[in-house]
Formats: sequence, structure tokens, C-alpha cells
Amino acid sequence: MDTYSPLKTPSLSQRNGSMTAVNLVLSVNGRDYRLTLDARVTLLDALREQLSLTGTKKGCDQGQCGACTVHVDGRRILSCLTLAASVEGKAITTIEGLADEGGLHPMQQAFMDHDAFQCGYCTPGQIMSAVACVTEGLAETDDDIREYMSGNLCRCAAYPNIVAAIKQARIDMQRGRS
Amino acid sequence: MNVSARAEGGMIGRPTPRIDGRLKVTGAARYPSDVILEDTAYAFLVMSTIARGRIKEFDLTEAQAVDGVLDILTYENTKGKVRKSRYFMRGGYAASSVVPLESPKIWHDGQIVAMVVAETYEAAREAAYKVRVESSAREAAPGFDERRPQPRQTPHIFAGSEPQVGDAETAFQDSDVQIDAYYTTPTQHHNAIELYTTTCVWSGDQLTVHEPSQYVHGLKNGLAKQLGIKPEKVRAVSPFIGGAFGAKAALTSRTALVAIAAKRLNRPVKLVATRQQGFTVSTYRAETQHHIKLGADRSGRLMSLSHEGWEVSSRSDDYKVAGTETTALLYACPNVFTRVNIVHADRSTPGFMRSPAEVPYVFALESAMDELAAALSMDPVELRRINDTRVSPIDQKPFSSRSLRTCYDRAAEAFGWSKRNPVPGSMQDGEWLVGWGCATACYPTNVAPAEARVTLAPNGTARVQTAGHDLGTGAYTAIALTAAEFLGVSLESINVELGDSTLPPAPVAGGSNATASICNAVAQACEDIRDRLARAAVQSGGALRGADATSIRLSRGALVSADGRSEELKESLSRLGFGPIEGFSKYVPEVASLPIRIMGHTLLSRGLPVMTIGTSAGDHVQYAFGAEFVEVRVHERTREIRVPRLVGAFAAGRIVSPTTARSQLLGALIWGVASALHEETEIDERVTRYVNKDLADYMIPVNADIRDVEVILVPEEDHKVNALGIKGLGELGNVGTNAAIANAVYHATGRRIRDLPIRIEDLL
Repeated sequence: MDTYSPLKTPSLSQRNGSMTAVNLVLSVNGRDYRLTLDARVTLLDALREQLSLTGTKKGCDQGQCGACTVHVDGRRILSCLTLAASVEGKAITTIEGLADEGGLHPMQQAFMDHDAFQCGYCTPGQIMSAVACVTEGLAETDDDIREYMSGNLCRCAAYPNIVAAIKQARIDMQRGRS
Repeated sequence: MNVSARAEGGMIGRPTPRIDGRLKVTGAARYPSDVILEDTAYAFLVMSTIARGRIKEFDLTEAQAVDGVLDILTYENTKGKVRKSRYFMRGGYAASSVVPLESPKIWHDGQIVAMVVAETYEAAREAAYKVRVESSAREAAPGFDERRPQPRQTPHIFAGSEPQVGDAETAFQDSDVQIDAYYTTPTQHHNAIELYTTTCVWSGDQLTVHEPSQYVHGLKNGLAKQLGIKPEKVRAVSPFIGGAFGAKAALTSRTALVAIAAKRLNRPVKLVATRQQGFTVSTYRAETQHHIKLGADRSGRLMSLSHEGWEVSSRSDDYKVAGTETTALLYACPNVFTRVNIVHADRSTPGFMRSPAEVPYVFALESAMDELAAALSMDPVELRRINDTRVSPIDQKPFSSRSLRTCYDRAAEAFGWSKRNPVPGSMQDGEWLVGWGCATACYPTNVAPAEARVTLAPNGTARVQTAGHDLGTGAYTAIALTAAEFLGVSLESINVELGDSTLPPAPVAGGSNATASICNAVAQACEDIRDRLARAAVQSGGALRGADATSIRLSRGALVSADGRSEELKESLSRLGFGPIEGFSKYVPEVASLPIRIMGHTLLSRGLPVMTIGTSAGDHVQYAFGAEFVEVRVHERTREIRVPRLVGAFAAGRIVSPTTARSQLLGALIWGVASALHEETEIDERVTRYVNKDLADYMIPVNADIRDVEVILVPEEDHKVNALGIKGLGELGNVGTNAAIANAVYHATGRRIRDLPIRIEDLL
């Protein structure tokens, strides 16, 4: 198990303000990390600042853009609206853990094939949402894809390419399952 | 050196997945805020809550008592630490003339008044909310008066930004058909999904700044100037940028403060401004007003064009986009009058936002053109055809190329325009009123000096280094394709390094100049390599002995002479005793004026803005053009407005990377939808404050807002713009789209909406 202790000073006994330290174990991409964190730390900030898993992006920090989407126990959630301490013991998957080491998930391949991004900043969130949409059966029609992917903003506006990518990956994912 | 000797690699123009795609889909692309440094302290900004006045007093007691707080920067302890860097439109680097934390003076709501630094982000945030600022507020001016604007002449910033010819007023009075109307466009914010972040770390007297940037050399030099240190002591790093759209080009107030805090604490400091703070941390597109008068004869020929614009700027700076430079030369017209006015308000200084001048100004003109077509009972495409021109009506300089008519033909055909019933409200489909509209897109072809270094290794791989930027534009891919073409090697052999001020200087990624500027530089550096290899090869005892050196090409990993002899690249390099061979280029635009020829590279190395713009390209003017067609559906009862279909045909010279170019144009058309129907930053005029400062209340299109978007790349050859014949296109695609949609709304409903964005309530 990896141990991270970001809180160095001041000592936890001299509490002032709203800080409460918590000890917890986060299970991310199949690995357990022991952390001591301010209880206010979001899952997003824990992933990025403590675990250096920076594929998950901060775009608004208030649940409006979808760039921070990760899977918790297979469901897509917004990591900016989730306190790290609330997901202890749950299986967290980020973009870095979506495929086997060195490989690509069919959705990642499809995003490349269809140029379904430009700047790439919203892309990890788009891909995590897209994978969940397919597994939840919410990507069966173009209209469904557009509707259920509308929580993930793309300011470069690659939307038509994102729809095309998800259609391709849906077929590949369904083949992979059968 | 000329890049006349073209390689035959067939790489330029080849559709290919973007070469940085894998990094982006796996989360491995390192954007500046993804650099996680040990022992980082976190910063959080405190912003002014008044728009005009003075800070009377800070009470930091509560804030300082928060555990983990390390430092609080205010003007009281930071005054004089940041030196003035001039405003970028006045030959400096800064996005505003206001020096950060210089004095108690408040220039606008959301001005940085303090920065808290703490052990953790959470502590910094808590303490920032506990900073008490007592201010005295004065009455502030939010922007335009509600009345029509009063002309208020200000000194010219750009010479020639108010083109005029003939006598527009007399010609207007004498015209058979007249259009006289006002149009407005709203305040808008870039809202890239990546926030405004800065991480600064000192190593001795050497500063590294990780900040998303469209101009790392500008950032480096500007920050050095503000900190009073030598430019070589600053390194700006930004290999990936999570969207910029103009907002990450000039130096904002935050950067120097983070650098100072990092110096004081002797540890890395990281700032991630919140989405709300981002509305005043960087710039925005200011609102504009337009008065257009068009006069035409009965056949539709324009006799008079008058375009007066009003723009909002800050109290401290004379920012303006002055888009009449473009609207004055879009169509043939013997009499043209233009004027641009600035209205100063108690706001932060506006700045470039994707197609700064053309988005608002062409909206006004292309709306008016549609009104003229309606008044003439003429097809709007026909009206554009009749008034097409090969020369600028202002000074009769020819366009280097102008494929507007071809674009209209191709887009109209793909759209099915011939099936349009011109009568407004005539094309109802069930409960939906259907409207079809069109408009012209155009953007100047700007080209800048650029430097590039190319290193070819004996194993046939090459490294391309230039401090350019890939904002999602596809720069990595376009540059790799160019190098592969000119070195005659595979795309996979090319490694491109961008976004680091230690690399050879490249221009700001703005004004759609980057592909043209940098690819020409890269081609020249490759030609430098070819030239030296070829000259050595013909003098050696190898297969190419005695061949004509100038005829030798690099192709498929070999040197090939015109008479058919060839030698493997590896063989040439090793036998000639070369290790890796380095080519270097300082590209000067072929169309550059004498001052840019002389001073261009000096200015570039200092990170200053230097560019040959499309209207000052010597004996001609250079623009890219497009034609855009849209279908709008307005619900009969709810007045909901949808845009199910967009078709754009664009001619922008040689297309280096069609895959990424298509994506840019696709995204641009959707930006046009946003401009027409969604985006508006709303101001509470009582307090001169933005009210919809987040992504829930600032409307941009989501996936469900967009259906069919078709991009047509119209082939165009233009040997005048630059050696490679490249025109920029990143900003072309969202010009005119807003007008096409407004025109389609008119066609659907008979209602002419002249104020953007068009919302349901406008159609009730």
C-alpha cells in the first residue's frame, strides 16, 4: 500500500478554522492509497494533488462541466462534488485505469479515430461518461447519446465527432462483452 | 531560403489522426496545472466586490488565524514589487495597464485585491473568504448607455482601421434601395474548460512558470519585465492548453503575484482561479453596437456602405477590435464610410476572443445584406454574387485569392438551397417554422516571423522544436506533417516539441497565423538540412556523385536525384560523417513590410506581438473565405429555437492537416450557434458586476443542442500568401454564422432580430 501524508504543518493539535483531518484508504484503479487529508478535500483534488492522477480535470469545481467525471463502483460521478472521505472502500476508476497498462479502451480508440476532441481537456471526462452511457444502455440512438452526454461540456465543440466515436465504441464494447 | 523545392512525400494534406491524440485520450497529456511539485503551497484569490473606488482597510485577523496560512499578499505589502509592463496594444505584454496590487485603487469588479497562500487549497480558500476588505465605492459606468451611443472619437490605435472611399452619405441618399439599421452583440467570455492556472517554482534566481499560454515567449518576457529580472531567468512551459480562444495570450495580473509568493516562501506556489474568478482574471469580448447603412441600385449593386461601430473598453485602456477593416472590403462598393468609437466603462480591459473583429462586425454587415436582399426581393446568395469583388474597394488592391463564389456554390448545393421558398414563414413542418439562412465567412490571412529547429538523426527520426502552441488546433499534427513531407520520412518518425520558452521563438497562437508561420519555418529548416546533405552527397564518392545538388530531394528515407539515382539517408549521414544534422530557420513572411523584415525577429525574441496582417500584405490583400448555410426551426407555440443543420464551405489555401482543420471548422460553426443563440455575459448595471459567472448560467451549446454539421474544404491554391500557400482557418469558421442564423430566424418567422443572442423571448 502506498502512503501519502500531505499535511505537514501546522500540527493537527493547533486547530483553527474548519480543518478536520481524516485518515482514509482510497482504492483507485485497483490500487489502495492510504491518505491523511483535510476532510474538505474533494475526490477530484485528492486524485490530482495527492495521487498525481491528473488525467481527471478541474473545469468548474461545481458540477457544471463534467470534466472531472470518474467511475465509482462502475457508476459515473462528478469527482468535484464528491468528498474523498465519502468514497472510502469503493472502487474508483479514472481515465488512467480505464484500459490495461499500455492498451486502449475501445472508447479511447474511437475518440482518436473520430477526432472527437481538440484541446483534449474535457476528453477524459467525456470518455468516462461515454463508457458509462454505453454500459447503462443509454447510447442506443444518436438522440440518446446527445441527451445523456449533455452533462459533459466541450468548449471546442467536438460534439458531432463525439457522437460518432461513441457509436463506434458501442459496437466494439458490445462485441467485447458477448 | 526559399522552400521552392518541394518534397514529394504526399504528407501535407493527408488526413491523419492527431499525433497527440493518444496522450489526450489516456489522460497522459500534461496541461500546466497537471504538474504536481513536491512541497507546493496553494494560492487563492480575493476579488474586489465593487467596480470603482478605493480600498480603505484590510482586516486580515481572521484569515491569518486559519491553520496553514503562509502569506497574504495585498497592495500594502506588495506595492512596488510588480513593475509596469505596458499594455500589449501599446507595445508591451500585459492584458491591462493596471499593475497588480499596486495601490488601493479599484478599477473594476472582480479585480484581484489579495492573494492568500496556504499549506493546502482548502485552507487558502477558507482564509480568502475570511479576508475583510473595507472599500469606498463610487458610482460606476457599466457600459453603453441605453440610448443609442454617442460618437466619442478616440485616438487611432491601428492606422487605417477606419477605411473610407468616395462619398457614402450622398450615394446613400441617391440609392434606389436603402437599409438603415442598428445591430448589437453582447459581452462574451471565452470559458475554455481549463481554468486560469499558474504554478511558479524558483530554483535559485531561475523561475519556471507553468501556465496555459498562447504565447510562451510573451509570458516569459512580460513576466521578467514585471519582476525586474532578465528574460533568460524565466522559463514558461505550456505543452498543452485546455482551450484558450484568445484568453491566454496576454499577460494577466495573476502570474506575477504567484511568482512573488513562490519567491517569498521559497517553495512552489500553485493557483487555480475558480470559474467565477475567471470572468475577470483574464479578458472577454466586449459588447458592440453597429449602425449600418446600405444603398443599392435596383439590380442589387451596392452603391454605398456605411458602418459605424461602438465598442466598450476599460477606463485604463483603449481596446478595440475595429472590424470595419474587414467589412469595408467584403463587397464591391464605390462609396464606403466607416468609423469606430470606444466607450470607456468601469470594467476590466477586454481582449481578443475567437475572431475578435469579425464575429461582431460581420454579424452586422451580413444581417444588413440579408435585409437588403429581402428589400430587393432577391435571393441572398445572388446578392453576394452580384457584389463579389476581386479587389479591395478601398484601394483597389487585388485579393491574393478569393474563392467566395465557389464556396457559395458548393455549400448551397450540399445544403439544397435551391429548394428554398423565399417567403418568410412559408416552410412550416408540422409545429415547427423552418427557416433557411446564409452568410459570408471571411478572415484575414495573417503571417508572422517564426523560428524552428529540426534535428534529423541517422536512424531517420527527426525532432522539430519551436515555441509554438497547440490549443487543440492540431498544431502538433500540422507541424509533423510538414516535417515529414520535407524530410521524406514517415509521420511516425517525427517528434514535435512545442509550448516551452526554451525552444526557438514562435509567434502568439492568435489571429489564425500559427500554421502558416510555423509550417513555413519548419519547411525552411528541413530545406536547410536537405541542402547541406545534398551538397555533401554530390561531392562524395557515393551514388549521387556529380549529381545536381539542387535537384536532390528527400523522399522515403533517401536522397533522390532528378536523374533517378538515390542513396539511403542513413548511408549518406554516416558516410558523410554527420551525426544528427540540425537545420535552423528564421522565417520572415514573404509579404512582410520592411520594418518587420528588419525588426521582426528581434521583436519575436522579446516576445512582443509582431505579425503581417491580411490588409497590410504589400501589393495585395489576403483573406480566407467561406459560405455558411443554416436551417433553423422555431416552435410555433413555445418559440423554442433549434439549429438542426449547418453546412459550411471554406477555402483557406493549402490545408496542411485536413482532419484537424475539419474539426476546427466544425467547432467554429458551433461557436457560431453559440454566438447567435446562447452566449451572453449579463451585467447588473446597478453595481457593474457580471451575474452569470459560471457554466450553468453562461450558456454554451451542449451535445443535445447540435445535430448535423457539414464542413466542406474547397481546394484553393494561393502562391502569394506565403511559400506553402497556407491561410489560417481557426477563426474563419465562426464568422458570419451568427448572421446566417439570424437571417434564418427571419426566414422562419418574419421577425428580424438585430440584437444577439436571439432568445425565445425575442420571438414571442
